Amino acid sequence: MKQKITFTIFLLFTFVLIGNAQNGSIVGKVQDKEENNAPLPFANISIKGTSKGTTSDLDGLYQIPEVAPGTYTLVFSFVGYKTQEVENVVVNPGKITNVDVILSVNAAALDAIVITATTRKVSEAATLLEQKKSKDIKQIIGAEELARKGVGDAAGAVSKISGVSRQEGSSNVYVRGMGDRYLNTTFNGLPLPSNNIEKKNISLGLFATDVIENVSISKAYSGKQYGDFAAGNVNINSKEYRGEGFIEAFTGSSINTNAINEDFVVSEGSGYFGDYARHNQNPFAVVLSHGIDPEAVSAPINTNFGIAGGKSWTFGNDSRLSVFGTVSFENGYEYRRGEATDFTTVEKKTFKDAEEFEYSTTTTAMGTVSYKINDDNKLKFNSLFINSSTNEVGYFGIDGTGRDRDAILNTDEGFYQMNAQFDQNQVYVNQLMGTHKSGKFEIDWAAGYNFVVAKQPDRRRITLENYQFALDNDPSTNPTFYSNIVFDNQRYFQDIDDSEFNGRLNLEYEANENLKLNFGYNARAKERNFENIRYGYDIIDSDFQVTDVNNFDAVFSPNNINLTSGDGIYEIRVINTIPGLSNVNRPGLPENTYKGNLDIFAGYVDAEIQTGKWLIVPGIRFEAFDQSIAYDVINLGNSGNATASANENFILPSLNIKYELNEEQNLRLAASRTVSLPEFKETAPFVYIDVTNRVGGNPDLLGSTNPNFINVSDVAYSDVLNLDLKYEWFFGKGEIFSVSAFAKRISDPVNRVVAFDATGTQRYFRTGETAEVYGLELEFRKNILKDADDNNLLGFGINTTLMHTEQDLYDVIQGTYSVSFSETTEQLQGASPFIVNADVSYSPTFGNYKPTGNLVFSYFADRIDALGSGQLGNIIEKSVPTLDFILKNSITENFEINFSVRNILNPDVKFIRETSGGDVLVTSTNGKGVSGYDRGRNIGLQLKYKF
Amino acid sequence: MKNRILFGFALLGALAMTSCASDDTADINITDNSVVNNTTTNPGGGSTGGQTIFLSGTYTEDLELDANNTYKVNGSLIMAAGTTLRVPAGMTVEALAAGSDVYIAISVGAQIEAIGTADNPIVFTSDASAPAAGDWGGLILLGDAPVNSVSGTATSTSEIASLPYGGTDAADNSGTLRYVRVQYSGGSADGQSENNGISFYGVGNGTIVEYVQVFEGKDDGIEFFGGTVDVDFAAVIGAQDDSIDWTEGYTGTITNAYVKHGADHDKGIEADGFNTDIGNNSNPIYFSAPTVNNLTIIGLGSANSSEAVRLRAGTRAMFNNVVLEGYNEGFDLDTDPVVPADHPTGEGVVSGETQVTDITFIDINVKVKNDTGIMFTEADLISGDGNGTGTDFASWGAGWTVGN
Repeated sequence: MKQKITFTIFLLFTFVLIGNAQNGSIVGKVQDKEENNAPLPFANISIKGTSKGTTSDLDGLYQIPEVAPGTYTLVFSFVGYKTQEVENVVVNPGKITNVDVILSVNAAALDAIVITATTRKVSEAATLLEQKKSKDIKQIIGAEELARKGVGDAAGAVSKISGVSRQEGSSNVYVRGMGDRYLNTTFNGLPLPSNNIEKKNISLGLFATDVIENVSISKAYSGKQYGDFAAGNVNINSKEYRGEGFIEAFTGSSINTNAINEDFVVSEGSGYFGDYARHNQNPFAVVLSHGIDPEAVSAPINTNFGIAGGKSWTFGNDSRLSVFGTVSFENGYEYRRGEATDFTTVEKKTFKDAEEFEYSTTTTAMGTVSYKINDDNKLKFNSLFINSSTNEVGYFGIDGTGRDRDAILNTDEGFYQMNAQFDQNQVYVNQLMGTHKSGKFEIDWAAGYNFVVAKQPDRRRITLENYQFALDNDPSTNPTFYSNIVFDNQRYFQDIDDSEFNGRLNLEYEANENLKLNFGYNARAKERNFENIRYGYDIIDSDFQVTDVNNFDAVFSPNNINLTSGDGIYEIRVINTIPGLSNVNRPGLPENTYKGNLDIFAGYVDAEIQTGKWLIVPGIRFEAFDQSIAYDVINLGNSGNATASANENFILPSLNIKYELNEEQNLRLAASRTVSLPEFKETAPFVYIDVTNRVGGNPDLLGSTNPNFINVSDVAYSDVLNLDLKYEWFFGKGEIFSVSAFAKRISDPVNRVVAFDATGTQRYFRTGETAEVYGLELEFRKNILKDADDNNLLGFGINTTLMHTEQDLYDVIQGTYSVSFSETTEQLQGASPFIVNADVSYSPTFGNYKPTGNLVFSYFADRIDALGSGQLGNIIEKSVPTLDFILKNSITENFEINFSVRNILNPDVKFIRETSGGDVLVTSTNGKGVSGYDRGRNIGLQLKYKF
Repeated sequence: MKNRILFGFALLGALAMTSCASDDTADINITDNSVVNNTTTNPGGGSTGGQTIFLSGTYTEDLELDANNTYKVNGSLIMAAGTTLRVPAGMTVEALAAGSDVYIAISVGAQIEAIGTADNPIVFTSDASAPAAGDWGGLILLGDAPVNSVSGTATSTSEIASLPYGGTDAADNSGTLRYVRVQYSGGSADGQSENNGISFYGVGNGTIVEYVQVFEGKDDGIEFFGGTVDVDFAAVIGAQDDSIDWTEGYTGTITNAYVKHGADHDKGIEADGFNTDIGNNSNPIYFSAPTVNNLTIIGLGSANSSEAVRLRAGTRAMFNNVVLEGYNEGFDLDTDPVVPADHPTGEGVVSGETQVTDITFIDINVKVKNDTGIMFTEADLISGDGNGTGTDFASWGAGWTVGN
């Protein structure tokens, strides 16, 4: 580690010390004829016959410094525009030569426009330039880089950014080691809902690259952002189209080396496209009408296809209407084989041999209509729909050696469970936004309405004892149902819907060249409704023989319900009865319900002060926060039907300073106060029961004044202090070196811990007074070989984060739920001390054939997944290296054949419990149903054609 | 064109799987001819002028049940600290047969005075006309006697109702239970927990518990979560899970206990030294270590019932005068080490903290199954084999118990 740092510091000095002779420079402005001679940012300017060049900035301005005296030809180009050459540009020693040009669309080049998009923030160099110009600390990755790295979705995209890592096997993203609860996700700058009850952020994996213009992560806070900000904000900008029209289509297939050889099964009831037709049925009717057994599917080959198109119309008076639409579908089959163990201080339940089948789908549709009324007024409407589904079937204890310490017949072997579930999430996002300019004023406004439906209909779970008898070919010995409680064999249904209205309004006033003021208002009102119900199969005869473990439908058919004493095999039980009805063989009421409300209103003001090389942006935000959770849950006695709420006003100052060391190098400083708010799922005392885990919320997170509570204060949020210092050097086109140091202090941090409630349920607690985070980030991107036209042939990039985290822990917490800690300090949950992402790309040119090969690597070090309490050790997520190879083959300008091998290293994905006797492989609520499995390699081919 | 072939396969896969999800859910018509839930009130009949009073909610004042009235528990009846629930002799308190969330809980600092007589026992039972195990929750007593799941004054939270319990007062007094029967309890609390018949959470030895029976419970009969409470004359008949269960450092004395299993059952006694979900957090460390005098456990025969007594997670226990009848195994000792080098359950035997004195095995295949990882002989655990006479349930259980 130390060596690497020395190495980069050494590099830094070498590059800085490269000397200056008495040279001249070229400056100028590039304008866009198509946009009424508006400044054209991100245009390429190069000096023919040299390697010198640059890109125009947001104001269309460019500068090529350090040009040796002489006469040159300048080449101006921009994707989709006619390349223009300006000859006889004379550069004199110590003088500045000014060259202004206006670029226009070249009709002959129209076909080329189609390539990826004609948008402006897609190229790697352009995103770096925006990063360089931005007021605050921000990293952006554009569509071009995404495509080059073979990144399939936004989750993959952000994990290429320094300090960001992704949890293997899920779309959970960590920024600077801080997980989901410390992140926010926005879409075109407006809040996005989560598609998952367990998450605050939407799964970034749902955003396929064909809807993304670029993805950015802001790691430093500014007053325009919502105050609930700790690690960063992920913003996805939707794709926009400005060209004359295009249609492209793609289709592809891939195989997973683990899944391809398996007889694949899925949970019954859902369709190929991740649809489900029984949502509107009463769950009790579903239980009676449909069986349990998973069904077989043939040929588990992953498929994707899609179509995208766009067109724009220009009208006489400078106005233009552009539309863009895309529809795509993608599915995947994964097979995991590993262990599933619940180990606390002792082994509670273990399946040394378990397997899971997962079939997932994503359907994405997006439409964008933008209307440029004139140069000063623009409107845009954006509508996004995502249907994502996962269908998982798990068989636990398939070798007959499963154990459960509370087994009734046999605690040494034969414990077995089957779990089949289908999750469907539908996300609708609708946004209308506009910008209006008038003189020194510019208004930017947006309004959005989001709706999410997340359902887990009909999860089926079966539990058997003496499963070894199903494997022994002796028909006289058979497994029996384990029916310690009536829900050991059950059907479960869960429904969540979220709706949110949000909006923003920003007024920018440019007082003069050096001073800009922003006044703004943000509002969001979000509501979540949750309910679940489960039906248990109570087996009448505990000695009932299960003669065919692949045919539970025959057992649990309606004919076998025990209606009058003793004439059937099972009874159906429910927890909450409909008044007047029995809890046996009758429909019931929801087991748990909750309704969460979040209302945030905020006003802010900031100033952009430019003095010489300094850009100083002080800002302040006033935010009113109102959150409540009204719940009606089981097993909380007479406190089970209650409301917890909090109402706070925050004053959040922020300061962002940029100092331009020179054209290429910036120093940045950012300091701010922000807050971290509890989520609905953390405060609602509802418990989700997985095969080997249970996790629930804790209303104390919203604060309590109960005098009997110990170490539970009347605090509903965490105060967060942020400090960032960054040096960045854009030393060439698409090249960067940056190093940053950051520190954070989080008061009353929230961690997930096993509560002391006799059932081992993980819950959320404010576990101590403060947590501190210190870290160092490095990013280095360099082109090693270039061709004659200054295109990158061979390049590499690496970014890495080193981090130290520490939080103090209370010895005892006594509230609605209680816990105690034997340690006094601990690392922050989710924080990896070391993260690295790296990639190498090679793109040679053979005439018209331009393949691009990419090798992409990422790694995170071990991190705490859940904090231990009492005698319990922490659960640790073990480090995972990931290596992908992607080959993009442009056969002709219209036709691509792409090839990829993902997860080349195919490492084991593991969670372990630390115990005084060594590490024990366990499962985690953040992971899959099994642990210690490998995901297999995905080998794929894709065809892409542009019409 | 390999990719074309692959794509062809993919389409095949698509066709093989139902392209669209089907519904086909039938309409369900329920014709309910049963009268299970339409029980008549006032089953005593004789006491005219009385009324049916529904009980639920948290009581912050004393609650004295009047022998002239009929009471029905229709929710969580929780007695808050400082209050007393008084139940007169001979009263039958019915509970709504709703399964979950119907139970009686006596919080830390509250007391129950349920004092019956052999002729007029107090009965807590289901209100269903055809009652069955699991109809309602049961009786929960909580106290602030020591539990080893926490240390010092810290408290733990009960599995049912999420109420605090545990502390430092070994003499905690949660009241008196005398000649009390709890029937048809064990309703589900959530997707993974069930109520017991009578649960003692950190209840201290200032509490008087004698002549109690749990009949036909869906989960455990009597369970102790730490505490020091002594129980005299206890019968558990027809419990579907373990009949007597202790954990979290229970150190009281049980004298005269009678267990008889029905068709569905687990162990006669299942005992843990500490709560394995959260560990043994006592300081200094101690394990459950009760004394059990005069114990009879009757199973369904050595071919049908697996274990009479299971000791695990480091529990100690002194058994005096025992009869075990009709199990494959008499005693099964498991180790459950927190550190692999530890064998806490076996160490209790070797150190003499776990002993069985005077016992008779009837229809038992394996008297002692030692899975503790420590070698000891049967003689190290058992002395006086053949001398056990058990408890004289026939005489002390006469009149006020059922199901024997």
